[in-house]
Amino acid sequence: MDMDGDVEERRVQARFITKLKPPCKVPHTSIAIPANVTRFGLSTIVNSLLKAGNDEWESQPFDFVIDGELVRLPLEQFVLAKGISAEKVLEIEYIRAVAPQKEDEPSLHDDWVSAVDGSCPRFIFTGCYDSFGRVWKAAGECTHILEGHTDGITSVTIVNPEGADSVTVATASKDQSLRLWKFDTEEHLDQPAKIRAYKVLRGHNASVQSVAAQASGNMICSGSWDCTINLWRTNLSDTEGDLVSIKKRKVKNNVEESQMEGEALSTLVGHTQCVSAVHWPEHSTIYSASWDHSVRRWDVETGKDLSNIFCGKALNCLHVGGEGSSLIAAGGSDPILRIWDPRKPGTSAPIYQFSSHNSWISACKWHAKSLFHLLSASYDGKVMLWDLRTAWPLAIIDSHEDKVLCADWWKGDSVISGGVDSKLCISSGISVQ
Amino acid sequence: MLKGKTPHADFDPYAPYVDWFKWEDAKHPLSNAPEPKSRFIPSKSEAKKVLGLVRAIRKGFIKFDKPKEEPRFYMLWGDDASSSEKTGHLSYIPAPKPNMPGHEESYNPSLEYIPTQEEINSYQLMDEEDRPKFIPKRFTSLRSIPAYENAVKDSFERCLDLYLCPRVRKKRINIDPESLKPKLPSRKDLRPYPATCYLEYRGHKGAVMSISTEASGQWIASGSSDGTVRLWEVETCRCIKVWEFGEVVQYVAWNPLPELPILAVTVGQDVFLLNSGLGNEEIQRKVKELLHVETPTAPEDSGNKVSGWSWRQDDEHEGIRLRHFKSVYSVEWHRKGDYFSTVMPAGDSKAILIHQLSKKFTQRHPFKLHGLPVSAVFHPTRSIFFVSTKKNVRVYDLLKQKLIKKLETGLREVSSISIHPAGDNIIVGSRDGKLCWFDMDLSSKPYKVLKCHPKDINNVAFHRSYPLFASCSDDCTAYVFHGTVYSDLNQNPLIVPLEILRGHASSDGRGVLDCKFHPRQPWLFTAGADSLIKLYCH
Repeated sequence: MDMDGDVEERRVQARFITKLKPPCKVPHTSIAIPANVTRFGLSTIVNSLLKAGNDEWESQPFDFVIDGELVRLPLEQFVLAKGISAEKVLEIEYIRAVAPQKEDEPSLHDDWVSAVDGSCPRFIFTGCYDSFGRVWKAAGECTHILEGHTDGITSVTIVNPEGADSVTVATASKDQSLRLWKFDTEEHLDQPAKIRAYKVLRGHNASVQSVAAQASGNMICSGSWDCTINLWRTNLSDTEGDLVSIKKRKVKNNVEESQMEGEALSTLVGHTQCVSAVHWPEHSTIYSASWDHSVRRWDVETGKDLSNIFCGKALNCLHVGGEGSSLIAAGGSDPILRIWDPRKPGTSAPIYQFSSHNSWISACKWHAKSLFHLLSASYDGKVMLWDLRTAWPLAIIDSHEDKVLCADWWKGDSVISGGVDSKLCISSGISVQ
Repeated sequence: MLKGKTPHADFDPYAPYVDWFKWEDAKHPLSNAPEPKSRFIPSKSEAKKVLGLVRAIRKGFIKFDKPKEEPRFYMLWGDDASSSEKTGHLSYIPAPKPNMPGHEESYNPSLEYIPTQEEINSYQLMDEEDRPKFIPKRFTSLRSIPAYENAVKDSFERCLDLYLCPRVRKKRINIDPESLKPKLPSRKDLRPYPATCYLEYRGHKGAVMSISTEASGQWIASGSSDGTVRLWEVETCRCIKVWEFGEVVQYVAWNPLPELPILAVTVGQDVFLLNSGLGNEEIQRKVKELLHVETPTAPEDSGNKVSGWSWRQDDEHEGIRLRHFKSVYSVEWHRKGDYFSTVMPAGDSKAILIHQLSKKFTQRHPFKLHGLPVSAVFHPTRSIFFVSTKKNVRVYDLLKQKLIKKLETGLREVSSISIHPAGDNIIVGSRDGKLCWFDMDLSSKPYKVLKCHPKDINNVAFHRSYPLFASCSDDCTAYVFHGTVYSDLNQNPLIVPLEILRGHASSDGRGVLDCKFHPRQPWLFTAGADSLIKLYCH
């Protein structure tokens, strides 16, 4: 260590590396940087390095990863806490900071927004307590209104987002039924088009709380307050034609439009309380979370539950994703977002616990592409973005005035959330690589 | 020889004296007499005595004690009191010693001992007994100290002290207060129990008088003093439905059957049976059928008027209006959801009525009550009926139509009662803040009385499946307790206080008016006079 460095301030040798594309690349040489520099200081250094190479560079915030962990302390403390030798050249990887750049004008609904799905980049699909489902092309641009339910919608899902001409969606409602809808996203109309369901799925004895679709789009599953998970077929004409025709006639008598009624293909029984969330990530595996404090994994073929994680709290939401698409994130009746790794043998303790919220967690979603990023929404009115590499939230979106009931990613770079203030908020410009 | 003449001429009367004693090194004359013989002969009597002792030792009559060990260390300046304590007789108790003079009694004390003028003035305001006897003062030299004017008085008082001081030794027992506490399990081991409030149900404009949870736990209903009954979704705090009555709603109760979503509400002199509108069409059809009073009952109304009640259709609220002759306080359902009981405190002999919903039939509780009734509850499993008056609780068998038991609470005024789901234990809350736990098999006296609330207990509740019970009070708190009832009859119930739930604000001197557990989760709903309903989660 040289003398004047000791007198003025300690310095560490660091090299900045990145996986970003060339305009954001800095020279691959090691430089000495002050040891007490924070994340903001590091960001300034990288921006000035980039500016030196490129005059038109506009400075933007960066986040820094050392040894697989995001830097959230002054560099000196971070290095000390991690036990990294200060003699070595520090390899600092920089990534674009994950934070929303822009807030779109909220899209107003007539009632509470209870469910949202952004799995199709062409539109946003929301469910509302006024019993209508809505399709939004962009912020404030409602293209379709789905009419037919007699009570508030609790959960929505897009069944086949890649459908060429028409898209199939499913909604679950408090009126104990599920409905399937089909519409064309490319229609251009001045007024929002009103659409009726092509199929009504009845079979639950209580409010349907959650719905999830298989990736292929042939089947959907739904969890309900009657403690069961039902599996349904989505296709129009199938072997159950006999039943369909009877129902058709019956319905025709009172309603002018023909609607098919579907029956549950099979029922998964095992939960002892309301099944509040279901997720169908693989072909034959369903994950479900329930108010009976458990997360279960079901085998669709046999209808048996393969594993059971006991959580201790009533659960409201569940999503599977992340590393190997197998980390289970769930939140419920307490402010802690928990993440389990079911591949770890012999333990059912969560591997990550994020506890920055103040109230119940109502939604959690993994980012589709990233291994590390997920979002959580809570009744305290906040949506938080998380990175597994740090215990603090990356960003807090505080655009709602009351409880947030649902949230999802959209187009990979936006967060959409709906809440009790009847707004659908879109926060865009989030650069998750 | 007598005349002094020598008998022989050769005799020299003046012969020189030969002294056998050597004067040079001996002080006393010694006899040259030989030792007597007896000294060399052993004594026979002594030999006998020795023989006796030897025999006694051999036979073990004589035992040699171990030499007494003298304490090596002893208190050189030992306390008089402690040494005299050991003696059994009347002991000397030393007089209390006068206090030794301190720095402040010095003629030239440090500045901090000398009171300021303000302090001296404040002494004048004090009571004479509390006033300090001596006020420190500074003097430049010892000779300038004046004579102490209280010298005689002080010594007189000292004499009085000595004379009047009670010479009694105080016996002090040192007991660790921790050892007196009962051994209770730690709160951590008794999880889950409600602890933190996350959700609030806002919407009422007056004090929330009563809440009730639906059997599945998806909905709760609340009645308020603003004259409305509201139906809430538990999960999202959304108010689903509002019924307006225009009069204070005293009590709400859900039908315990999940397939009959009927709400019983007491408003003034009426009991309304309302259709909550939940469930599918089939359930709705059944409920509507059940909540329909046929018109032929109308002429009978006049007959029923005499008896004091009438079943009528209520079109405004789409339900049944059951009119009583006095204001109704509470309504409780039977577990099968067909019968329900109502309590009219001012109803005298017809104070407690049992109604049957399916037949629209009402009967009087056929026993004489001593005192004003407070509440009436059905046993959770058997055909037993509990009626609580202000002083005690009576237990009736409805099949045999007789009084089984009378539980003496010993409380001033009973306010609420709750039955353990197994049915053998009940808790009773009172207006003097006490909560009594009765073990019906044990005795008719309370097994335990918990005095924790400083103000009236408004309601008590048992959890349906978890071993929890709670009480709520006008002091704006709700207490949560753990209460395990063992199936072994010899083991007493375990009661552990767990948590004090705060958060409600006081309004008109009323605090938390009702508390109910969620039927399936370890959560507690509390209804406050501040028009809020709170949900405390684990």
